Amino acid sequence: MRKWIAAGLAALTVLVLASCSGQEDLKNLVEHKSGEEQVVNLFSPMEKTEPNTENVARTAADLTVAMAEEKLGLTVAYRTYTAEDYQDKTYDDVALDRARNDMDDLYLLNPDTILALGREGKLADLSGLDSAQNLREIIRIANTVDGKLVAIPQEVVAYGLFVNVDLFRKYALALPNTPEEFLECCRVFQENGIETPIGANRWWLETFVFALAYADLYNGGNTEAEIAALNSGEARYSDYMRPGFAFLQTLIDRGYVDAEKALVSEAIEGEGEDFLAGRTPIVMAYWGAANSETAYARTDFEMQVIGFPRSRGQMPVMPMTGWGVGARAEHLEDALEVLDTITSDEALQLYSETNRVISPSRNVHVECVPALKPLNERIEEGVYVLGSNAGMSVEQWGNTCRIVRDLLGGATVESCMASFDALQDAALNES
Amino acid sequence: MKKTTDSQRKTGRFSLLLSIIFIFGVFGAIICSVSQKISREMSSSAIQNLSESLDLIQSTIEAILRSEADFQKLIAKEIARSEDPEAYIRVYEKNQTMAKLSLIRSGRTEGVSNTGDLFTAEGLDFSAGRTVADLPVSQSYINYMGTWAYTMRCPVERNGQVIGELYAEYVYDSIDQSLPDGFYNKQASLYIMDAESQRFVLKPKGMGKRSAGHLNLTDFYRANNIEASDIRAEVDACLESGEDILFYHDIRNVQALNYIWAVNGGTIFLVGYVPVEAIQQEGRTVNQNIAIVVGSMLVAFFLCIALYYLSRRQQDRIRREQEEERRLHNQQLSEALQAAQIASESKTTFLSNMSHDIRTPMNAVLGFAALLNKEAENPARVREYTGKIMASGQHLLNLINDILDVSKIESGKVVLNLEKFALNDVVSSVDAIIQPMAKARGQAFHIEVTGIRHEYLVGDELRINQILLNLLSNAVKYTPVGGSIWLRIIGLKQRSSQYEHIRIEVEDNGYGMTPEYLEKLFDAFTRAENSTTNKVQGTGLGMAITKSIVELMGGTIEVFSEVDRGSLFRVDLELRILEGAADRRFWEQHGVSRILAVGAAPEHLESARAVMEEAGLQLNAVSCWEEARDQAGACQLVLVDWEVCGLSAVRAIRGALGEDVPIVVLAEYGAQGAEEAAVLPRTGVISKPFFVSAFREKVAELWAEPSRPEDGDVLTGMRFLAAEDNEINAEILEELLAAEGASCEIMSNGLLAVERFRRAGEDEFDAILLDVQMPVMSGHEAVRAIRALEREDAKSIPIIAMTANAFAEDEKAALAAGMNAHVPKPLNMELLKKVLRQQCSRGREAL
Repeated sequence: MRKWIAAGLAALTVLVLASCSGQEDLKNLVEHKSGEEQVVNLFSPMEKTEPNTENVARTAADLTVAMAEEKLGLTVAYRTYTAEDYQDKTYDDVALDRARNDMDDLYLLNPDTILALGREGKLADLSGLDSAQNLREIIRIANTVDGKLVAIPQEVVAYGLFVNVDLFRKYALALPNTPEEFLECCRVFQENGIETPIGANRWWLETFVFALAYADLYNGGNTEAEIAALNSGEARYSDYMRPGFAFLQTLIDRGYVDAEKALVSEAIEGEGEDFLAGRTPIVMAYWGAANSETAYARTDFEMQVIGFPRSRGQMPVMPMTGWGVGARAEHLEDALEVLDTITSDEALQLYSETNRVISPSRNVHVECVPALKPLNERIEEGVYVLGSNAGMSVEQWGNTCRIVRDLLGGATVESCMASFDALQDAALNES
Repeated sequence: MKKTTDSQRKTGRFSLLLSIIFIFGVFGAIICSVSQKISREMSSSAIQNLSESLDLIQSTIEAILRSEADFQKLIAKEIARSEDPEAYIRVYEKNQTMAKLSLIRSGRTEGVSNTGDLFTAEGLDFSAGRTVADLPVSQSYINYMGTWAYTMRCPVERNGQVIGELYAEYVYDSIDQSLPDGFYNKQASLYIMDAESQRFVLKPKGMGKRSAGHLNLTDFYRANNIEASDIRAEVDACLESGEDILFYHDIRNVQALNYIWAVNGGTIFLVGYVPVEAIQQEGRTVNQNIAIVVGSMLVAFFLCIALYYLSRRQQDRIRREQEEERRLHNQQLSEALQAAQIASESKTTFLSNMSHDIRTPMNAVLGFAALLNKEAENPARVREYTGKIMASGQHLLNLINDILDVSKIESGKVVLNLEKFALNDVVSSVDAIIQPMAKARGQAFHIEVTGIRHEYLVGDELRINQILLNLLSNAVKYTPVGGSIWLRIIGLKQRSSQYEHIRIEVEDNGYGMTPEYLEKLFDAFTRAENSTTNKVQGTGLGMAITKSIVELMGGTIEVFSEVDRGSLFRVDLELRILEGAADRRFWEQHGVSRILAVGAAPEHLESARAVMEEAGLQLNAVSCWEEARDQAGACQLVLVDWEVCGLSAVRAIRGALGEDVPIVVLAEYGAQGAEEAAVLPRTGVISKPFFVSAFREKVAELWAEPSRPEDGDVLTGMRFLAAEDNEINAEILEELLAAEGASCEIMSNGLLAVERFRRAGEDEFDAILLDVQMPVMSGHEAVRAIRALEREDAKSIPIIAMTANAFAEDEKAALAAGMNAHVPKPLNMELLKKVLRQQCSRGREAL
């Protein structure tokens, strides 16, 4: 017993001495940084933040970037830009300027920008990356410019119509499959006091045009020949585009679309509030908006995402956005490694599960949210329209967007078609 | 009184509780106050620190702006000195700070730029009138590189005349390189805002998880939920006046310090926020440490209280246990005292009884001895008086034996002497004793034996006899004249194949007992005393002894009784069965395989048949001799029921079968005329109830050659050597033996006896009788010495212990010492003769 008491007292003494003794460190107290930090500069658009909310889409990308940072032991620095209003430079304009001046290493680019920079040789060839080997063929083709794979997306962006099913039910309307049915729905809505049934912004009305313009080209079984005819001048882009613009003109003329408001509205900002409030039954947006809390992930009504009305049925429109690496980037090798990591199957699985989107990798499959099932079914059937195609001599996504804005600004359908003809002629002259 | 104590205790506890709460309250208030003070001081210090950091950043940016302006002025001078200013501009290469250099000659709207493009100042807005080192600075814009930039304008003067305007475009990214890489552990955010457009022209590095920052001040307000109009107004005022502002506002539910810090008098502003937690990190750590210390102290305090409480509880428990122990001890003492008093009273009563009971026969002995002395010449009187003296002596002996038995049982010294015995012997001996007693009182004594499967058992025969005799003698005593007594021995279902389960029932229709008396029936020193029974003499120990012996044997005893209706004692015993293989051999040796039973009642034969069949015998039962006549020839043995058939039938059977076939007559005890049957050739008589073992013994006798008459003068002419230290006993022995025609040489101790035997000639003595407790050498030592002598007859001469040590263990000890037999004192001449006869005949056989 005494031994135990003695041992206990000894232990207590040691504990007290150890806990009370302190020694000032006499060495240099400055924490030295270990080596130069590896940085990769990433340029991407900035989504405006809602108070106290998480930006899911951004979080998904962040997760993959964090994966790359951990794996490669470097830091990815975000540089962002978003236009304040329609008078500001667009993100695409700024992205072009920055890429042309080698301001960043890694860029998130829209289809027209990819095509433009690809043709200027400002983007590095990504075909050697491991992740490139997993890409679905349609993604590879759509992002290949002059034989070089210049961009790899993290998700396949599909645009569709986001509809308030409760309002359709309220007015006993079936979801429209054809342009005629669509117009009828708009008429009924308008007659019931919804003055502007379609919410629009200055960016995404072109998806209507694409659906009407190229549904037959991409689904008629003669795609390559028809594109070849366009590139050679045998066929005219204006002939394809005219029905879409005419339909858009009809929507504007009948007041189903508020052209003036659309022309100055940014995506979602302009039309989102009315749609979420149930005042507008129809808007157009991309797939990821259905998953993003900053967009349409939380609605008080039943929402469905369907394809654009066409005689061939509902038609998703799929432009190709993607990540490109500056050909003369300051940190080229690191940027390529980061891109390889964030587009690897592992990263895309994480991305797709977080955002519930279609993955560009043929090895990654994720079940989508219920609202997206109608759109997803069409894509799975192989029925869709590409919003951009690097194989076409005239860049589609950016030019169409710009010309649609002309229409919104009061230009006639014919003058818009003349713009397409001019673009086609210029392309023919270049070649 | 107790109520008052409880009330005082409650008041005390309440006061203690209040005191503890008060101490804790004061303690908590002090801690809270100290904690708050530390927090405030740390917060104030952190705000000051933040202000200093922002001032430092502000100074750094202003220094950069001034450097840029000064540098631009130098270039303007260079250009002024240049012969071809446009050419100077064109060859100037852009760098990280200055992205574009342009010149517009005075009076023109277009100029040249180092990018090679035509340059106009249309897109540049200098209207705000902001300057850096007297150079006008434009509103911020996105430049051709896709990044935020601003332009400073500087006049180019030659010979005091302005020849043009030099426009230098600077990118904010260059300022970013001079800013700290995050501060407050990178938890603080820092934007640079253009004052005029309120656009955020430089964002923090590494924006990640939290979306992508803010576009402008409005977006900053919206995203961070800064809705309070007073704050906004104050901010507007500061923006207008170019002053700094710092305010608290929660960012994403975390309290944060927001700041808008003017640079260059309000040309641009530093905008951002830092969580208060990040500012008060040290304060929080201190508070955490205080909390840990306080927590530890509280834990220690409560631990001490818990230890104190546990210790107190343990002490209370020990005290309670001690009190309980003491109480129990006192109770035990009290009970022991009471028991001792009761015992003392009982023993006093007992002694009183004993005194009476011993004096009564003693009185008879002495009285009759005195009468004997007077009437010595009258043989009839002598016989009468000696008979009475012997009866009184016998009673006295019984009394002493009972007292000794109780004493031994109570001290736990009783040892059972387990030996083989025949149930028949027990019943016979009991019958022989009780039957006369019952007859003397005109009582009917019935014995019934049923269901017994094994008659040879292992047990203490003497003690079983004692049980039966105690119960039966009580039954005789406490049953009035003319009553009936039943002894039933019933074989119960065996629980084990190795044990016979026997129930002994003794029933009478006598006086019975009261319930009160039944309760203390088995207590020692009690005796039923009432007007009816107080005439009955006894020690009052019999039932206590009986119960103790039964329990010692592992059995149970029950009693049922009603006053004037009688009593029933029921004893259950389990006795080990002796292997019965010898039975079969016995019958085979005597050539008996079939037995004819004439007139025997079925109940007598029922259990016998099973036993006999087990032994390989066939039992043919007939009701009368006439029925059996045909079968008689095939039988080797005939069993005749005396009460059914009578003497005539026995004679007829004997006549019919001749002398070859033995006949055994089964008769009630003392049946008249049965002895006449016994004189017939090869005919024997056994008593009811029927026991196979008795039957077998009788058959063995009938088969054997005619033996010497047992009751003859067996001791005549024999000579004994005896050792007896008590002269009277020695004289009695000598006289008794002389009366039997034997002579005896008596030594006064063992040693003399040994010496005498050593000197004795061969066959000089027929046997040696040794007392056990003797001076010089005890009987046990003497027998060992004798056996150790080197004489041929030392080993074989019968030596008989003759001692007052009359218990079973005394007998065992005597036999172990080398004695051949043990005869207890007082000397029973018949027993001594029987033993001597057995031992001497064995000795002869051995020779």
